[in-house]
Amino acid sequence: MELGKIPLYLTNICKEIFKKENMEFKKILCCVSIIFSSIVAVIGFVSVVVSVYIGDIFGTNWNVAKGQYGIGAAVFGTLIVTAGAMIIAIPLGVMGAIFLSEIAPLKVRVLLKPLIELLAGIPSIVYGFIGITLLVGYLQPSFDMLSGYSLLTGSLILGVMALPIIVSMSDDAMKAVPRQLKEASLAVGATKWQTIKKVTIPTSISGISAAVILGIGRAVGETMAVSLVLGNMMKIPIPPWDMFETTGATVTSLIAHEMGEAAGLQVNALFAGAVILFIVVAIMSISSNILQERIEKKFRGG
Amino acid sequence: MELGKIPLYLTNICKEIFKKENMEFKKILCCVSIIFSSIVAVIGFVSVVVSVYIGDISVRILLVIIAVLFSVLSYYSFVRLHKRKEMVGLLVFTVIVFLVAYCLPMFPPEYGLRQYDLDASILKFMMTSVFLVVIGIAGASFSMKPLYKFTSKSSEASAYYILIASILLILYPLAIIIGNIISSGIGGISWEFLTQDVRRHGTQGGILPALIGSLLIMTGTALIALPLGIGSAVYLHEYAKKGKTVRIIRIAVDILQGTPSIVHGLFGLALFVPIFGISLLSGILIMGFLTLPIIIRASEEALKSVPQNLREGSYAVGATKWQTIRRVVLPPALPGIITGGVLGLGRAAGETAPIMFTAVVFMGAGVPTTIFNPIQALPYHLLELTKYIGAYPVEQNAWATAFLLLAIVLGINAMAIIIRERYRVEF
Repeated sequence: MELGKIPLYLTNICKEIFKKENMEFKKILCCVSIIFSSIVAVIGFVSVVVSVYIGDIFGTNWNVAKGQYGIGAAVFGTLIVTAGAMIIAIPLGVMGAIFLSEIAPLKVRVLLKPLIELLAGIPSIVYGFIGITLLVGYLQPSFDMLSGYSLLTGSLILGVMALPIIVSMSDDAMKAVPRQLKEASLAVGATKWQTIKKVTIPTSISGISAAVILGIGRAVGETMAVSLVLGNMMKIPIPPWDMFETTGATVTSLIAHEMGEAAGLQVNALFAGAVILFIVVAIMSISSNILQERIEKKFRGG
Repeated sequence: MELGKIPLYLTNICKEIFKKENMEFKKILCCVSIIFSSIVAVIGFVSVVVSVYIGDISVRILLVIIAVLFSVLSYYSFVRLHKRKEMVGLLVFTVIVFLVAYCLPMFPPEYGLRQYDLDASILKFMMTSVFLVVIGIAGASFSMKPLYKFTSKSSEASAYYILIASILLILYPLAIIIGNIISSGIGGISWEFLTQDVRRHGTQGGILPALIGSLLIMTGTALIALPLGIGSAVYLHEYAKKGKTVRIIRIAVDILQGTPSIVHGLFGLALFVPIFGISLLSGILIMGFLTLPIIIRASEEALKSVPQNLREGSYAVGATKWQTIRRVVLPPALPGIITGGVLGLGRAAGETAPIMFTAVVFMGAGVPTTIFNPIQALPYHLLELTKYIGAYPVEQNAWATAFLLLAIVLGINAMAIIIRERYRVEF
């Protein structure tokens, strides 16, 4: 009797989530699921094609001497490093963008916006250099790690690198929200913060998600900084969430490290990694662009 | 008998303090609590950053002061503002802070994560400092509430506080990176460093070939990418009819822009290196592809900002399409286009991965005589020096190289931003 009601409850919850007021949320959810399923589909397709030539490309064994070329560990490393970076970069970046676009007085904004754009211009090799000279030496004693070269270090560096893109693009998205919308909210007595929460962020959410997707794309494709501060051992750490261990590489760092001396099938495997990288990032840039176009269209129409 | 009256006296004193006439006192109290909590947060952050533990006693004193401030605040919000629910919240926070202060000596000196198979442990200084940061920020944003009498204005104030804290946190790495590189790198810059060849694996000598190589790459990139980029932007925006083709081209440009630099490098390795070898030309071509989308995007934006009636005015007096573009549309769009070009060059100056397999060697290339010679470049030089850190005494030269690279790239980017702000044409 009670058990039979569970599906009903579930449908109710789903209905609640997909109510008219949460329309934007639904769209975002759909977009995210579409993006990820297409990425999975493409990876599956590529792996089928590639496996004809190289064998088990997504296996976790990378052993040049034995002729085993599975980049599974590197794919896993990319995933976990990017996830760690986004945990830092998304909340901080969006909060920074809110401050920059809605709260900061004009003088502060004029000063800060170019500064953050400058941060985006710092070459990745400089981030890597700073990572090795400062961050690695700081993290090793602070967390009593075996060595400072770890997935955690990579995550921190990537998080800092993705920040400026997310801040700058989310700021643009929030600035694009028509003034009338905000003023209508202020006119009925809402405070500025309520307006930001209830009007500005929901209207610009697709722009913000475009920024986030682009930030993820940048983090996935980042090479020099990451390859310097990772341990670059092709192994999935045990347990998998152990970000402190020296094991771990990303697809990009694998290519950067091994392409120089690679030969034969190894070259093909590395190129396969690059192709997967390219396709994943391409899907991300396209979807980010579609989201941005939509927000433009919406504001031009309304 | 006398002792029993103490609570009464205390309440009387408190009542005296919180009388209507002393309204301002409440503001002062809140401000003191905000400022003190912020100071605690800063102390916590600094001790996280410099890995110094300020000691159990000082931490406990700080926490107890916060707790006392908050117990007064919660008393005030109950007695004067009659906010029972809110007072409970403040009280809970007070109790938590007291508990942390009380339990502090019982914290183990390190909390080993090795029991969970994680290869690390959380040291006491890290734990306590993070507590300090969290309690400080939470305390400051909580004490906004009685200041604004728990209205919606108060949640606005606490939100603003947290947002300001987050922007400071964003700017912190920028300050650290630039500050460290300037302070450690500027000492290594000398005339000899700039004008000598690399000697003994970069431990001695200068970086002249790398500097020249980078300048050559930038010049070549500008020569290839600027005409192509501006040309495509003019075609896309002025000539092409809106339709599927333009849309596909735009998507292609976007994909090109998002493509990871290492993929560009592999692309060059597969396409250009078999033809031109590891050479300046391969590097220039790759960097051209890398900067092309930036220039196309910026030029298109610039062309878009030129209003349509300018063009129509030009047609009306009988100008052809090309004359209109050359004399009417391009001049006001030029600052935007140049900004894009300069930004692209900044990217080309700093990228390592695309030229790593296609154009550069670490030593011995010297100044190339033809475009088919391999070159040396600043970012790649820095990469190699970074790999030598710890093995050879290259630190000094590495910092100086990083300083030079950062100065060039940031200088270029700052120039782009200045051009954009200074010469922006408003219609």
